[in-house]
Amino acid sequence: MQPHLKRAFIILILVIIGFLFVRSFIVPGSFGQYGWYRGDSVAELRELPVGYAGSASCSDVNCHNSVYTIWVNSSHKTVNCETCHGPSQNHVTDTRTMPTPANDTREFCGMCHFKRTARPADFPQIDPDTHGENLQCTYCHNPHKPWFL
Amino acid sequence: MELSRREFTKFGCKIIIGAAAGTTLIESIATIDAQEATSSKNYDWTKHYWGYIVDTSKCIGCGRCANACKLENHVPFDEPVYRTWVERYRITNEGREEKVTIDSPNGGIDGFTDDIPADEVKKAFYVPKICNHCENPPCVQVCPVGATYETEDGVVLVDYNYCIGCRYCIQGCPYGARYFNTEKGTADKCTWCYHRITKGLLPACVQACPVGARKFGDLKDPESEINKILDKERINVLKPDLGTKPKVYYVGLDREVR
Repeated sequence: MQPHLKRAFIILILVIIGFLFVRSFIVPGSFGQYGWYRGDSVAELRELPVGYAGSASCSDVNCHNSVYTIWVNSSHKTVNCETCHGPSQNHVTDTRTMPTPANDTREFCGMCHFKRTARPADFPQIDPDTHGENLQCTYCHNPHKPWFL
Repeated sequence: MELSRREFTKFGCKIIIGAAAGTTLIESIATIDAQEATSSKNYDWTKHYWGYIVDTSKCIGCGRCANACKLENHVPFDEPVYRTWVERYRITNEGREEKVTIDSPNGGIDGFTDDIPADEVKKAFYVPKICNHCENPPCVQVCPVGATYETEDGVVLVDYNYCIGCRYCIQGCPYGARYFNTEKGTADKCTWCYHRITKGLLPACVQACPVGARKFGDLKDPESEINKILDKERINVLKPDLGTKPKVYYVGLDREVR
């Protein structure tokens, strides 16, 4: 082989080795494990902390079993505990950390029950101007077991 | 103690080989531990293929889904970015033409107020929107670094440690489901609460919905609730002509919804 070709060949090999060397540092080890992405990120995303614990975790006999039994047979049974009471996983893990108190204002109940044109007509709604004289809804209604429907 | 050069070299070599072997052994043990820790969740993604159903005829526009999503996934509350949001469609008569008013104030989190008199509205309904987790996701195609991908169980995710924040995917999504997270400096999107569904929980929005307008389940399980709805109801997806094959199916979708 002619010397100038030999030199070019050696330089090419060195460049390829250099590229592979740098690449081994830059590309994360798990890249390409499952596809063209970093395989470790799947586990990272699975391990994110949970905020909403779910209504079943309230039902323990030593916890809120009595109110759970009332709620689970009421017409509000499709409304999960944390929809009003807020995310409570920290409270389930450690009962001394309290979730923020449930919002019991008229406006909060109205988010579902004030009359709105776009709501399905068969959904129970009230006209806030004529119903309840601006009293707090919980003054008459028990949110865990509403009177109507 | 007197050491010859030969003995010294032998001894040194032994120590080096021993140390190398020891480190490798410790490292391999550590790797096994890490593998056991991840497999202890017993979640096998080849056994699931997730799907989502939105029943627009049930939605009451309370916005609890969008609120729960922001709380669960730490989406900034002071920015107009949403992983899921509720749109309101109101159709009024304007002369002989129909006029469609679409709005979503703060993603529906604060609820909706009637700013068009009820007697003028011909038809009105709410449509919850969310990432469609397409089978052919355009956002994944355009990512230049491989920071977004579709998992084996059909969820489109973002690798926050690998995303360079170029925003191509935000432009590539035809549904406007992606946003830029200024806290992370990356693109961000709905994950169907991947940290919840892999632990056997429901996504936060599905759990928060008070009327069951949102359903989530396994398309691979023939007995799942969503498969029964898909078999029985008349369903549609958003922008089917784009060929993205969304896995969010809509029951009672109006022709005005895009």
